[in-house]
Amino acid sequence: MSRFRLDPLTRKKFARFARIRRGYWSAVILAAAIGLSFFSEVFVNSRALVVRYQGRWYFPTYGAVIPGKTFGLDYEYETNYRRLKAELAAKSGSDFVLLAPAPYNAYENDLQEGIYPPTAPSFADGHYLGTDTSGRDVLARLVYGFRTAIIFSLLLLMCNYTVGISIGCAMGYFGGLFDLLFQRLIEVWSNVPFLYVIIIVASIMVPNFFSLVFIMMFFGWMGMTWYMRTVTYKQREREYVLAARALGASDAYIIFRHILPNTISVIVTFIPFSVSGGIVALTSLDYLGFGLPPPTPSWGELLRQGTNHLDASWIVLSVVLSMIVLLTMVTFVGEAIREAFDPRRHTVYE
Amino acid sequence: MSGSLLEVKGLKMHFPVHGGLFYRQVATVYAVDGVSFDVRPGETVGLVGESGCGKSTLGKAILRLYDPTDGQVFFEGRDLAHVHGKELRMLRRDLGIIFQDPYESLNQTHTVGFILEEPFRIHCVGTPEERRAWAKDLLKKVGLPESAFERFPHEFSGGQRQRIGIARAIALKPKLVVCDEPVSALDVSIQSQILNLLLDLQKEMGLAFVFIAHDLAVVKHVSDRIAVMYLGKVVEFSDADELHHKPLHPYTQALLASIPEPDPSKSVEEKPFLEGEVPSPRNPPAGCRFHTRCPFAQPRCRTDIPELKAGPGVAPEHLVACHYAGELKPKS
Repeated sequence: MSRFRLDPLTRKKFARFARIRRGYWSAVILAAAIGLSFFSEVFVNSRALVVRYQGRWYFPTYGAVIPGKTFGLDYEYETNYRRLKAELAAKSGSDFVLLAPAPYNAYENDLQEGIYPPTAPSFADGHYLGTDTSGRDVLARLVYGFRTAIIFSLLLLMCNYTVGISIGCAMGYFGGLFDLLFQRLIEVWSNVPFLYVIIIVASIMVPNFFSLVFIMMFFGWMGMTWYMRTVTYKQREREYVLAARALGASDAYIIFRHILPNTISVIVTFIPFSVSGGIVALTSLDYLGFGLPPPTPSWGELLRQGTNHLDASWIVLSVVLSMIVLLTMVTFVGEAIREAFDPRRHTVYE
Repeated sequence: MSGSLLEVKGLKMHFPVHGGLFYRQVATVYAVDGVSFDVRPGETVGLVGESGCGKSTLGKAILRLYDPTDGQVFFEGRDLAHVHGKELRMLRRDLGIIFQDPYESLNQTHTVGFILEEPFRIHCVGTPEERRAWAKDLLKKVGLPESAFERFPHEFSGGQRQRIGIARAIALKPKLVVCDEPVSALDVSIQSQILNLLLDLQKEMGLAFVFIAHDLAVVKHVSDRIAVMYLGKVVEFSDADELHHKPLHPYTQALLASIPEPDPSKSVEEKPFLEGEVPSPRNPPAGCRFHTRCPFAQPRCRTDIPELKAGPGVAPEHLVACHYAGELKPKS
């Protein structure tokens, strides 16, 4: 289908992007990390991957809770697979338990007798990055916190861009009074102190994941409108738009088929920076305690614990290093895209 | 004139200029200021004039790419200037436009196939397979290979792109096509190919053209009748041959005289060249708009606006807007 073929100029831009190694590999690693984070349960989980018990196979990772009675234990609540593994190993039968590489989940408090958390990293316990002040595994909270942050950031990006692009496009396309009114509205709106609003809202109701996305979108959609307005304004006056209108095309047809495809490069250039912005915003809100409600695993909450317990350096180090690596990679991707999509490189004088 | 396909009556296209703190209207550009002419089925009417005289604006205003300030544009009896929405979109099936710059008028992000299927898609005619077949027919009609279908506009030369633009304009078999300087951006060698293509298509499909150009030589070659524009007004409108041999308006005379003649025995200095610049359409001169540059200007020309009416001593359809038409002898 000719419709889905990318035009050569865009293909050239992507080829250029792939040649910028730093950005390209950052993008690959990030994409892999995001992809894998959706399967975090396989890598970081208190549930076992595989259990073989009395000739039967169990795969507890996904699915319903398997009570301890199933495996001949004396309780109805969820099986403690770490203990089950020790018991089965002691019996030396053909039964065994295969645990996830990091055998803790983000919510359980691994409180050991005689030790006051946080505990330092220990390979023997499986706490590769130690535990936090409530005895929860830092690695598990990092991994699940990453997933929360990235999903939050991408969702926020989609919401922001949907609203921002629609309004910006409409401003540029229809112009006139509509444009003027929205310009003033956005100027006023941008000056609402966002943090205070969040604090006020958080004091009235505890925001959950989606309401936080909604609140942040409410104050974050303006950024994209300016760029979209300008680009649309420019494209609208191009002759191919006139040509389409002369053929009898509707406004919607012109916007979706002609103007938006020509603004993709602007949108794509801003995506990485918006992603890192979203992650930073969520982390800082969590750090201040106005973000996602506890005990949701989040980097900001971990950061707050870390800065309050600087003696337990593994907490603050692991979260700060993760932040640095993640944000640097996102920035590398952003840089590479900006470089690859730089219109000056593609201007051809014919 | 009842036999007209298109009849433009007193068309005015004024653009407001806004400025200042409160976005007030500070000036008006009188791009097209009361233009009347008509086009009969299957004929070519040439529109000539200097850059900035409003001929492109006129072309776009006829097709309602701009909303005219005043006046009527009757196309088959219906006033294009005052139809809206669906009715306008249906009328546009019978109208086409070819633009000057073939680099600008084709969307870079679409394939040629997509561009040529677009007219059918917009008007929801045919199945996808039919549209594909029709688009390929169009390519053949304008002399491009079928392999062009999957390619992108930037892979073609200027002349080939203009052929794509023409194919798009004729896709829905329109009755009237506005050609907005279709050859001025092209090489001279390509110009004649494109002109011949247009003439062939006209013969084959019975198209009527409004042919806009600043080059009188090109217009003379393709047009049946010619309207000469100066600063938003038609100053002379007549049969092409007649205009060539008996120009009445001093501006037409100057334009005709400025066509370079391939005759080495004639000296360049002998020709009467127009002096000065075209006045700004923001503040057009009172009276006859040409009086600031007219070599024959009289006191009356500064105050009275000449009407477009039948000239003295010529065919009745030869219209001219000059107080002293027929009394002036061109220097040559």
